[in-house]
Amino acid sequence: MLEPQVWAAVALLAGLISVGVAVWLYRWVQRQDPGSERAQEVASWIREGARTYLRRLYLTLTLVALVMGLIIAIVFAFDIEHLGTEAVTLAPRRGFAMATAFVAGAICSAIAGYMGMSIAVEANVRSATAAQESLRDAFQVAFYAGSVMGLAMVGLAVVGMSGIYMLTGDPEIILGFSFGASALALLAKAGGGIYTKTADIAADLVGKVEIGIPEDDPRNPAVVADNVGDNVGDVAGMGADVFDSYVASTVAAMLLGTSLFIADPAAQVRHVLFPLMLCSLGILASLVGIRFVRVDKGGSPGRALNSGTIITCGVFAVLATALVLAGGYNLGLLWATLAGLVTGVVIGFTSDYYTSSRFRPVVETARVSGSGAAINIITGFSYGLVSIVPSIAGIVLATLLSFYLTELSGISGVYGVGISAVGMLSISGMIVSSDAYGPIVDNARGIAEMAGMSQDVIETTDVLDAAGNTAKAITKGFAISAAALTVLTLFAAYAEVVGARGIDLVISLRNPVVTAGVLLGSVAPPFFSALTMLSVTDNAFDMIEEVRRQFEERPGILAGTVAPDYAACVALAARGALASLVWPAFLAIALPLLVGFVLGPEALGGFLGGSIFTGVIFALLMSNAGGLWDNAKKYIESGHFGGSGSDAHKAGVVGDTVGDPFKDTAGPSLNTLITVMSLASSLFAPIIAAFHLF
Amino acid sequence: MSRDVHLYLSLIPEALIASMLTPEEFGIYYAVGTTKKARGQAMFFEVDPDFRHDYFRIEEGIDRCVPHEDGSPKASIYISVYRVLEHVALDAIKKLYLVTQDGRVLGLDPSDKLPEETTGLHLYQEIAPVNPLVVSSLGPKPFYELIVKNPNILIRLPAICFAQLRLGKLAEAPEHGNVGDLPYSRIEHLRQCLTELSTKTVDAKMVNRTEPATFPYRTIKSGIFVGNEADLLLFPFPKVEDLRTNHYRWWRSAWST
Repeated sequence: MLEPQVWAAVALLAGLISVGVAVWLYRWVQRQDPGSERAQEVASWIREGARTYLRRLYLTLTLVALVMGLIIAIVFAFDIEHLGTEAVTLAPRRGFAMATAFVAGAICSAIAGYMGMSIAVEANVRSATAAQESLRDAFQVAFYAGSVMGLAMVGLAVVGMSGIYMLTGDPEIILGFSFGASALALLAKAGGGIYTKTADIAADLVGKVEIGIPEDDPRNPAVVADNVGDNVGDVAGMGADVFDSYVASTVAAMLLGTSLFIADPAAQVRHVLFPLMLCSLGILASLVGIRFVRVDKGGSPGRALNSGTIITCGVFAVLATALVLAGGYNLGLLWATLAGLVTGVVIGFTSDYYTSSRFRPVVETARVSGSGAAINIITGFSYGLVSIVPSIAGIVLATLLSFYLTELSGISGVYGVGISAVGMLSISGMIVSSDAYGPIVDNARGIAEMAGMSQDVIETTDVLDAAGNTAKAITKGFAISAAALTVLTLFAAYAEVVGARGIDLVISLRNPVVTAGVLLGSVAPPFFSALTMLSVTDNAFDMIEEVRRQFEERPGILAGTVAPDYAACVALAARGALASLVWPAFLAIALPLLVGFVLGPEALGGFLGGSIFTGVIFALLMSNAGGLWDNAKKYIESGHFGGSGSDAHKAGVVGDTVGDPFKDTAGPSLNTLITVMSLASSLFAPIIAAFHLF
Repeated sequence: MSRDVHLYLSLIPEALIASMLTPEEFGIYYAVGTTKKARGQAMFFEVDPDFRHDYFRIEEGIDRCVPHEDGSPKASIYISVYRVLEHVALDAIKKLYLVTQDGRVLGLDPSDKLPEETTGLHLYQEIAPVNPLVVSSLGPKPFYELIVKNPNILIRLPAICFAQLRLGKLAEAPEHGNVGDLPYSRIEHLRQCLTELSTKTVDAKMVNRTEPATFPYRTIKSGIFVGNEADLLLFPFPKVEDLRTNHYRWWRSAWST
């Protein structure tokens, strides 16, 4: 049997390979033809806008990370095992390690996001240029660029986790790494979501509705901000989101592993490292899957992406089986892994059912749009509510299967649930690669339009874009479900950490502080959603005024004789998004700690439970309903129920606009919110266990 | 640099205009290029600059059409805004320009060849001098003759400009035909009007008397007709494939709104 340090080193190596391949792909994409001068000019506007925003975001986040790191260093510099007693001593090395892990987590998440976004803004123009040659070439450029994000993300996560484990041997320190990644992810996701929808709504409402210019028209002053938003929201934001779930699920399962085989330290360490090994195998499977994603002549990009996902799942299943059998692990762990893997993919494709124009919900919503915007919204919202059911059923099934299959095999069922979450997220490299492909081809289409490329090129990028939208819908369903399983595991980890401090956590609704915690937790996700969506409307209002002002004061913009001031809209969106992050961030980190320190660990348990349940439900509802409204509008535009300009289309545009902040701002940020709240609770659980009012 | 003065017969609103702008420039100016809040879809004919008629004070208008002090060309001098169409001879009309609301301009040449008459029902958007939406069992030529040449009709027009719009499956099956991509408002009322045409002994029926003269260009079927008591001219509308291939910007703008 291999030594634990060797297992960790293998994981580190897998992570480094993943980062190495990401760097290689980064350079491969950079070597592709960047296209005409005009195309490069348009791409440079988007690139500069995206970089400006990320520079500001990361500067803000650096300050936040340093301040929080300092707080963590001070708080954890006390010997938390003896907090609340007179035997308390100082443990500055532990405090330093925890703070360093926190900052490292934030940095790794930031690097993955920055790498992904940097290559996305290089690849968009190259994909558009390659579309002049063939669909196959354009797809390859966009997908390999997306893979940079996917592989960098999982690679850096595994390098960080295995590196910290090799240095400290303590999974609780990795919890600090996870908290750093999640805190950054929350701000990146929420900020990106606010940015992208601010620009999108302003560009649509003034450009398309008021003035009547088509999508991606270079005369629209908000069009560059809109394209920048695709990158900061869907590449950097979504990447950071899955990064945080990926790390959180792994560290939660590792923490639960510490409670197994207390009498057999070697077996215990092997189970602590098992989640990390699954991540390593997931990386290898993703590398194989990515290799097989290609579009042959006459092939479909959507089918190519799905094939890649299925191949990755198959390879991962084989590798996981080999690990369990060769490593002498209990077979129950294999069933838990496979349960999570299958459920994740099935839930992802279920999201596609509720958001794709191939199926009834979207077609029916489009059909009733002829009766007006109110009916469109009621129908879309109702289908959004229905869409929660199969995902929740999937999560329930994965939870019960993994719990009982591992229990029956003689291992803790809670650990099994944690392993199923890791199994689900293990193929994140492939999933994020497909997801990041979406905004790249979306941008490629915009650049083709703005650079005046031929109709054939625009049609090729349209085909690529359609596949990207489907991939995006699947990833959202996957990310939400994965986050749900992750926080269920974190909840168990929280109970574990509190239990280790001598408190038997009993979450009973007959206890009024628990009820209070549940209720407070339940309102956190809707309140957070409201804050982010109100930020979108506030910022969109400012940008709408700016776009109107430009059109009014400079008629030459529409005549095509004067260039719009794109930078003004980019600056407005960036400033607004960052300023809007203060309250949501405070809510995510401070509220659970406040509940814990005031109402106690049991109330905090109730708080986490409440937030998990409403968080998952709201996230699924908003992501699916928003996607459904978007595609119902597109379905009408494709020539059904009256097509563009019809009454149905006008209603569809209203539904789509309502759904925009649902699906791209509030919905996806909720995964991260519940993960951050759970991580903050787990991290500070020992201190809360020692100090609380009730 | 001196510039020629052009004459344009605007259809929305009906007006005769002198301008120093070329048709493409005039189309952009007319749809979007003014700070006055008068922007939107535009349709106009380019008229032979040598055309003259006693009804219009064209020379006076042309004389006033001089560059601005800064040298920029004069965009528009309105010569007449009342009963213009009936006083312009068809042989003076050169090209028709369709301008989208965001200022993309498409020029159409006239054709002597009228579309073949087909059975089924028809939908017409009258553009000038009045603009109701009308359904009819008559093809474009008989419809024009009914409005302009029939001495027995109570309301007769001296000239007319109208577009034949697509009815899709409703032309043959008004009650149950699939609407498809037809963007018309109050579709049930339209179905009812079409059904009444086949059950009553009328040749034409007004669908909407307050219909604006603008309409989505993508709904044009055979083209835009202009006729007076002397003749009828057709400006055929290109096939979609032709528009996408050769007039992509215009097509994209017209099809997305």
